[in-house]
Amino acid sequence: MKYESQKIALNYFIVAALLFGLQIIFGLILGAKYVWDFDPLLNILPFNTARAIHINLLVVWLLFGFMGGTYYIVPEEAQTEIYSKNLANFQLLLFAIIGVTAIAGYILGWSWGMPFLEQPTVLKFGIVIVALLFLYNIFMTMMKTKKWTVIQGVLLGGLVMLAGMFLFGVFFMNNLATQYFWWWWVIHLWVEGAWELITGAIMAFMLMKLTGVDREVVEKWLYVEIGLVLFTGIVGTGHHYYWIGTPNYWLWWGGIFSALEPLPILFMVIDTLRSVRERKVEIANRVALYWAVGCAVMHFFGAGVWGFAHTLPQINQWTHGTQITASHGHFAFFGAYAMLNLTLIYFALPQIKRLVTFKQSLGIKAFWFMCSFMVLMALSLAIAGIVQTYFQRVMGMDFLTTQEYMRLWYTVFWVSAWGFTAGVVMFLIDFFRLAKTKS
Amino acid sequence: MTLSQGKAIFIWGTAISAVIFLVLTYDSLVQMPKRTQETKLDAHVAAGKWVWQKYNCNDCHTILGIGGYYAPDVTKVMSSRDKEWITSFLKDPERVWPNPRKMPNLHLKDQEIADLVAFLDWVNGIDTNNWPPKPMVATAVTSISPGEAVYKAQGCSACHTIAGVGGKVGPDLSRIGTVRDKEWIEVQLKNPKTHDPKSIMPSFSKLSQKDLDDLAHYLAGLR
Repeated sequence: MKYESQKIALNYFIVAALLFGLQIIFGLILGAKYVWDFDPLLNILPFNTARAIHINLLVVWLLFGFMGGTYYIVPEEAQTEIYSKNLANFQLLLFAIIGVTAIAGYILGWSWGMPFLEQPTVLKFGIVIVALLFLYNIFMTMMKTKKWTVIQGVLLGGLVMLAGMFLFGVFFMNNLATQYFWWWWVIHLWVEGAWELITGAIMAFMLMKLTGVDREVVEKWLYVEIGLVLFTGIVGTGHHYYWIGTPNYWLWWGGIFSALEPLPILFMVIDTLRSVRERKVEIANRVALYWAVGCAVMHFFGAGVWGFAHTLPQINQWTHGTQITASHGHFAFFGAYAMLNLTLIYFALPQIKRLVTFKQSLGIKAFWFMCSFMVLMALSLAIAGIVQTYFQRVMGMDFLTTQEYMRLWYTVFWVSAWGFTAGVVMFLIDFFRLAKTKS
Repeated sequence: MTLSQGKAIFIWGTAISAVIFLVLTYDSLVQMPKRTQETKLDAHVAAGKWVWQKYNCNDCHTILGIGGYYAPDVTKVMSSRDKEWITSFLKDPERVWPNPRKMPNLHLKDQEIADLVAFLDWVNGIDTNNWPPKPMVATAVTSISPGEAVYKAQGCSACHTIAGVGGKVGPDLSRIGTVRDKEWIEVQLKNPKTHDPKSIMPSFSKLSQKDLDDLAHYLAGLR
């Protein structure tokens, strides 16, 4: 860490870690509702409310992580302090207030009702203000020195795209199909567009710093990766336009382009492994290295392989709307974005605290717990989804009867989720131990 | 490869994909009003869509296959349930469908229910490229009798079991034809209290004579 204002990241990471923990609690509640049909919380915290909170917390903690990461990376790339520290802290506070209001609102039945975008409209405008403050602060920092490195250019591009796409999910439309058409501009073009740019930039920065490989090599491959991400990912949005009232040529466009989507992720794996192999410095921060390599691999399997498995329309017509999607969702969000943020935290935190060496065993244990139990969670939900696909879709058994046959796999999923939770607890203990050390 | 070649891949890859996507988006938006029967999308349907969102239905149910996987997809629900059934279900889900996995009673107003039903009816008409597909096995092996279709549409399996499939609130009907004849069943359907004053089964006298006839015929044939 070279600049004082990089410390802004710490508070963002603290909020992110807390929300991550909270997200897991709601996840365990949701899992229990699948395992036991008797639901003592039916009228207090019904499934829909708990799910809204679970997926909102996911998005929000990841965004806090991205923002913290940006505040950490941009000063080093731009070689100057952040434009306004106060603005950064105010923006954190405003975002946290909006987040708490949204969650309290869901519990009281205040919802806008589109998945992931359940925030009532007035809160959405608040989120837009947060995004504008954030982008202004970052842009002004970059403008101080105008050092347009590829890494910070891609990072800024990803963040602008992230904020811009959100606008397509703000307005109510009478036509559900049209509403969902634009909804995917937010959801898909976030996770298979903007977020990939941010991830690519953050990962490139960390690999460069961790392994000491040349900037030119890192930035060249960053260009190729995000070029392929956007080439496959933009038209790849079409894999969501098979069955929602959209024309049937999307079966071709969406099928072909999204089948190519694993390619850039495979590039990232190769790129990561090559950087580590050709490292020019000894990597002292082993735990960050574990998370970085693990992230590349889990990103590939969770997003790439698991996505490819049901992206072709011939398969998707049977699996669409089943637990196959939930399996992919858990695996991909964790592998690509949760792990990116955890890498980032383990990369940046020791530097913010100016720790030359630190105890890494708990962080590595958390890594193995989270990764192996997430694989089990993804596998068990995938089996539940396969049972559902065959019984309900292929054989025509009704929804609720099919659920009975899936209960065993819900149980395996839920027990695995407790193993995953153990990993999260280890991470939280480790994180707060590090965050509390005096620098 | 050089940095500038990498940059060219990025610029051209993004530009080509974006142009294709924007052209297809334009064409989709032109075609979708017809594919979604927008002429039938009136103020009731729009109000019903807001009811759907306001009560956050989509985080339990999928619609167009998107949403929560905890409860059945409702895209084509109006093809298999009639309006009265949906209305009484939404009024009190527990009474109509006493399943262990429950939908909470949302205490919807009558107007909200009417709007929601109009919305679901409109969604039912969206051209979804034949999604969800017809089951392969069921369509290949059996054809459904008219009576069985009524049994399904009225959601009888919420309470009754046939061949291991269904609820446990009412008696198992797998071999009901061995103990009851068609006339007895028809009376039971019209007024369950005739045979047992304490019966909690709702009356199905609202059904047309043909539907009653088909249903009783189907049940009496289960041996």
